[in-house]
Amino acid sequence: MFYVFVFIWAFAIVAGITMVWLLAWAIRQGEFKNLRAGARSIFDENEPEGKVTDYFPGEAPLMRQLEVRR
Amino acid sequence: MSAAVETNPQVEVVSRIEVDRSAEGAVTIYWASALFWLTIATIAGLISSAKLHSPDFLGNIEWLTFGRIRPVHWDTAIYGFGGTAASGTLLWLQARLCQTRIPFPALLIAGGVIFNVGILLGSIGVLMGQSTGVETLELPLYAMPLLVIPYVFIVIANFKMYFTRKTSHTYVSQWYLMAVTVWFPILVLSAEACTNLGAVDGVAQAIANWWYGHNVVGLFATPTGIAAAYYLIPKVIGKPIHSYHLSLLGFWSNAIFYNWAGTHHLTGGPLPAWTITIGVVGSLMMFIPVITIGINHHMTMLGSFHHLKTSPTLRFAVMGSMIYTLSSFQGSLESLRSHQEITHFTHYTIGHVHFGMYGFFAPLMFAMMYYAMPRLTGNEWSSARLIRIHFWCTLIGMLVYAISMCYAGIRQGMMMNDPTAPFLDIVRFTVPFLWIRTLGGLILFAGTIAFLINFWRIVQPHRLRFVTPTLMTTERDYNMLLNKEKELEQNDK
Repeated sequence: MFYVFVFIWAFAIVAGITMVWLLAWAIRQGEFKNLRAGARSIFDENEPEGKVTDYFPGEAPLMRQLEVRR
Repeated sequence: MSAAVETNPQVEVVSRIEVDRSAEGAVTIYWASALFWLTIATIAGLISSAKLHSPDFLGNIEWLTFGRIRPVHWDTAIYGFGGTAASGTLLWLQARLCQTRIPFPALLIAGGVIFNVGILLGSIGVLMGQSTGVETLELPLYAMPLLVIPYVFIVIANFKMYFTRKTSHTYVSQWYLMAVTVWFPILVLSAEACTNLGAVDGVAQAIANWWYGHNVVGLFATPTGIAAAYYLIPKVIGKPIHSYHLSLLGFWSNAIFYNWAGTHHLTGGPLPAWTITIGVVGSLMMFIPVITIGINHHMTMLGSFHHLKTSPTLRFAVMGSMIYTLSSFQGSLESLRSHQEITHFTHYTIGHVHFGMYGFFAPLMFAMMYYAMPRLTGNEWSSARLIRIHFWCTLIGMLVYAISMCYAGIRQGMMMNDPTAPFLDIVRFTVPFLWIRTLGGLILFAGTIAFLINFWRIVQPHRLRFVTPTLMTTERDYNMLLNKEKELEQNDK
């Protein structure tokens, strides 16, 4: 039982220190600077901000155009 | 996004298609497995549900008795469906956000096969009466290595993608995904050590059991669902999330508080009072991440709700994020001793669990599949009607289920607190609500079948390629993808 407790406490301390270290690492890396740009990092030239990227099948604006051409 | 990528849109587009292509095999096998196990879990759940209002239903088959089929329902739901859906989501989302190809695709595909064999063996073992009897860890120990090994592959792939990423910023979804890969192995190993491997005895085992039982939902399913919502909602409507500051506060407060909440399951049990108080405090502190996440998801949608009419992904994502807020508030309040005096050991808890898992987590996984599968396969979903059927069945089935169970649970708890109420009267009172629950489950099952048909069609090779490309909304995108497709096909030859 004693060794189990030693293991659990050691595990918890290592995990806790790792989380604190990760937070410090993220701050040093500048992860929390310029958050406005961070929020926009999922957009790109092909799927830019302001563009809707999902529609029901056959109901996207382009498809309506193509249907008309056919 | 790196500076090089920002200045070269052509590279970005090609890169994204290649990212999606590299993910096709591995992610598809995980998501196909998820739907297979969701179907099995739903059938097992329906059998379990029917047995509660009709005890003779399949009553003469020993391997379908309630004590066996119910753990199979939960384990196939949380590991079979939840584990594989979350793994596929983790791989694809991380690849996209890192702008890198999925590494070791053959290893990941092999991992998917091994994981399925593990769940199958474990479920058969439970049906044969070999359950360990520890809630959420019922699968026999011989099945566990088959679940752990594939997860090691996923952890390695995840870290490899992160450390070779072409982006400089770690998006909030990536925080959640990286955390899941660290938290889940710690959870499983610690809980197995303290329960089935017998490192501790007595009430300490119960504490470990419920610490795990709560956290497998909160530190595995929930972060994956939130990561999906943080990506899908802004991506689909083309609007960045409302407050990136709050999103990071939400992640770190979630990381600090969720872990403490599990012991509230043991309120009234033979534990030191302080262990339960810690669980209650941890649960109430969860209001901080839940409110920050809720503000972000709902305020981002403000002014964009009209897109719900036209986007299947958004429908499921918004349903999931709204129910996340509701079920989390419900869960925090449910931890209070005064609340549990009524609802503990009643159907209310069952209603809450399903509200969270099938109302929040599952719709976000469906949203992820609806968004990603056309991009992975180059095919289109074959039927808008089937998607609509799936959505309405999921929403209505879930509401029928959760409302009936929560109402029945409150009434059941109040009656149980009345010492003059005969126990059989309480049982009889719940029977109509148990029928309604089975009805809710059947509606959910109908939605699952609709999704299965659509999923089966979309994974057929080149069956509907470019017929109705939902994912391409301008002609430029369409031509670019078409050219890239031709180029890749020539390379294949």
